[in-house]
Amino acid sequence: MNHPALAEKFARDFSRTTWHDETLWFVRQKRDKAIYPIPEFQELRLLASKIKDHTLSNLDNYLLQFEENARKNGVQVHWATDGEEHNQIVLDIIRNASSIKDKTGTIKMVKSKSMLTEECHLNPFLQKNGVEVVDTDLGERIVQFRNEPPSHIVMPAIHLKKEDVGETFHEHLGTPKGEKDPQALTEAARQHLRQKFIEADVALTGVNFAVAETGSFVVCTNEGNADLGVNLANVHIACMGMEKLIPKIEHLSVFIRLLARSATGQPVTTYTSHFTKPAEGKEMHIVIVDNGRTQQLGRSDFRNSLKCIRCGACMNTCPVYRRSGGHSYDFTVPGPIGAILSPNIDLHKYSSLPFASTLCGSCSDVCPVKIDIHVQLYKWRQVVSKENELPASKKWGMKGLAKMLAMPKVYDLGGKLARSALRVLPHGMTHAKGLNPWAIARELPDAPKQSFKEWYSKNKKS
Amino acid sequence: MKVALFIPCYVDQFYPNVGINTLQLLEKLGVEVAYPLQQTCCGQPMANSGCEQDSKDVYHHFVDTFADYEYIVTPSGSCTYHVRKHYDIIDQTPAVQQVRKGVYELVDFLENVLKVEEIPVHFPHKVGLHLSCHGQRGLRQANASEITGDKGGQILTLLKKLKGIEITHLERNDECCGFGGSFCITEEAVSARMGQDRIADHVRHGTKVLTGGDMSCLMHLEGIVKRQQVPIKVMHIAEILNGSQP
Amino acid sequence: MSSREKILASVKAHKPVLIDLPTIPAFEGDGSIERFKTVLSGIGGHAIEVESKTDCQGAIDTHYSDLKSVASKLVKSSVEIDKNTSKEVLERVDLAVIEGVVGVAENGAIWVPEVNMINRALPFITQHLVLVLEKRQIVANMHEAYKKLDTVGSYGAFIAGPSKTADIEQSLVIGAHGARSMMVILYGG
Repeated sequence: MNHPALAEKFARDFSRTTWHDETLWFVRQKRDKAIYPIPEFQELRLLASKIKDHTLSNLDNYLLQFEENARKNGVQVHWATDGEEHNQIVLDIIRNASSIKDKTGTIKMVKSKSMLTEECHLNPFLQKNGVEVVDTDLGERIVQFRNEPPSHIVMPAIHLKKEDVGETFHEHLGTPKGEKDPQALTEAARQHLRQKFIEADVALTGVNFAVAETGSFVVCTNEGNADLGVNLANVHIACMGMEKLIPKIEHLSVFIRLLARSATGQPVTTYTSHFTKPAEGKEMHIVIVDNGRTQQLGRSDFRNSLKCIRCGACMNTCPVYRRSGGHSYDFTVPGPIGAILSPNIDLHKYSSLPFASTLCGSCSDVCPVKIDIHVQLYKWRQVVSKENELPASKKWGMKGLAKMLAMPKVYDLGGKLARSALRVLPHGMTHAKGLNPWAIARELPDAPKQSFKEWYSKNKKS
Repeated sequence: MKVALFIPCYVDQFYPNVGINTLQLLEKLGVEVAYPLQQTCCGQPMANSGCEQDSKDVYHHFVDTFADYEYIVTPSGSCTYHVRKHYDIIDQTPAVQQVRKGVYELVDFLENVLKVEEIPVHFPHKVGLHLSCHGQRGLRQANASEITGDKGGQILTLLKKLKGIEITHLERNDECCGFGGSFCITEEAVSARMGQDRIADHVRHGTKVLTGGDMSCLMHLEGIVKRQQVPIKVMHIAEILNGSQP
Repeated sequence: MSSREKILASVKAHKPVLIDLPTIPAFEGDGSIERFKTVLSGIGGHAIEVESKTDCQGAIDTHYSDLKSVASKLVKSSVEIDKNTSKEVLERVDLAVIEGVVGVAENGAIWVPEVNMINRALPFITQHLVLVLEKRQIVANMHEAYKKLDTVGSYGAFIAGPSKTADIEQSLVIGAHGARSMMVILYGG
């Protein structure tokens, strides 16, 4: 289903849509409160944007520098051209790890949040190969229980109400029926997941930032699940999109100041963890993934979408996302940023996403790395049209409209006829919901007898 | 100063009064205004739908119509934004460059070209201002809440000068109305919901007259006002500044 | 061609012309102890002040008299932890008292390097966490903090308050997976 159809389905539940909109708007407001008092916030956005621009323009060298330093640190570096290869690499790491290879029982993995592994569909692949995979971020665990994809990249279960979570936990964790107190539900998850952390053979994390100069990478969480998982398991696998690089440690300061404030309005995430060398006797692996990113790097109009630091602010601010829900995008990364990343992956499948926007520009103004998201949405629309992915009615309608608007006399006459028709036809016909989507919730404007041009010609023309 | 008036296609057809008020307001302020009769549209409807290549003839027609004028004033932030921002796909001849530079949204023209300080209008009503995104974020005619907590902007500045006026404080000062061109049809459900939420914010905070710089947003919002039979009168800013009363 | 070579060649072919790297100017800010304490309490932690490092024991006795299993190199420890301690033992730690090296006033974060953690898992698996910090190690912002750290070492973390989540309906719950509470003991003049 395309975005309008899924969005319509979501918006049909009026009160739930209100709740979803207000919940995310609350996050946007928290973000505003966190950034207004910082006088240099706009300067930080510009710096972050420029640091990323620079890094992307020298990405091959920074990748090499990062790899060299990580190897010196005793970290094993792997490269994956696409999701499939990424998944295979992860499985091979697990099967060959010295601490795991002789294990007879089920291999157990705990994961902290990684949108990349969602993008690569890692979980089903590992499960198919006999690995138990447990998402440990609370929101991700909730949607994992429910067999749903995350609906937001920072708050994966934001589409669910506490009653929904209560039911899910009752079914999977045995919490009392009807228990919906977030505190009690979180405690139940804590107890359940502590056991998983203790049992895990391998921990997988995403990467927020990778630093070329030291070969380090940074993982940000509020719950502490990344550090708990990694420090209790014998094997740490960190999966990163190649665009996560920044040149130096000093650059982290700019991004760390922007990330949590933009994402949730916190001054910083609770844990900002810097991994450089594995603990004694343990393994650390980094998988660097392309999966369409080099192709995006080559598209000059869309290149700077690779600057994204996955804060989710564009989702929270987007009036369309808030009223259509993350699942309406049907892509790993929903919202405005997803709508400019997805067409690079599959233009046909995601051709409706660049149109899931009014081009209001709020996303671009909220973006901490100044990605011109709404401009790219406009440009993707042109690509969709050029690649013949527009619905035929729209394509030919627009061609006809353009012809008419280039010919003043035809335009004048067309406008006059349309207005007459609107005046003459009965309301029931002009506002027939099946024929005129405008009229489902709106009245048409009154059609005046004369246009401005006709008035001017009569009254002003000398 | 050679000034032309551009009345956007949907204003021409559905809101001639907005055009008349714009013209009269400019004339009251001593501007000699020409209205080239061959004008049609800026080309935005096609371009926003992904068909900017089809729009090129319309762009050329717009440039041919207005190339001889120093300023092209229009009661629309959205059309102004489109000409300034998106006429980059045709050859940048001196005429194209002149038109892109010379096109002005009405209130921007009043404040920054005519340097209008006073508007001698008595408007004793509670007025809710709807900021059009293209005017606000596109042309930077008003501060954006993503960037600052200061709600200042060009239209607000002028409105505040009217005698007797009271301005509505909204919960969401600059959320999009959901019109979005063809978005209002293709994404009807979300579009309507966005508009309903905007109107609800105005109703909750006592707006009696709803105004703004773009009739496209206002057409969409008026459609909801009328359907829901809400006691709000929708007026373009040109009508208010020209002394029309609700 | 290996995937590595393929990716690097593709990046090289697709990247734009080199864009300059900007320099980060010196951003100043309020690096006061008051600011640090206010921000910390805003994120669910709290701070107390003592005269010297030796006063930590008294503070722990006062605030955590009910906790049995305490792991620390700074105060009296009831459970011996080192880097090889088993998960089962770590799991039973009630309180860890650990020294931080740099505090950040703008966000309440404290840098804890691996060497101070005793065991990499300890600051995260403990039920409650106390970080001890010398007052003069508080800086205004993250730029100053990274400048002050010579190195990020083999592993280290900025820790800002207790573990938390808002994943259920945006309701803030303290104590997700990590420490349920977090106190900072500030010492020195």
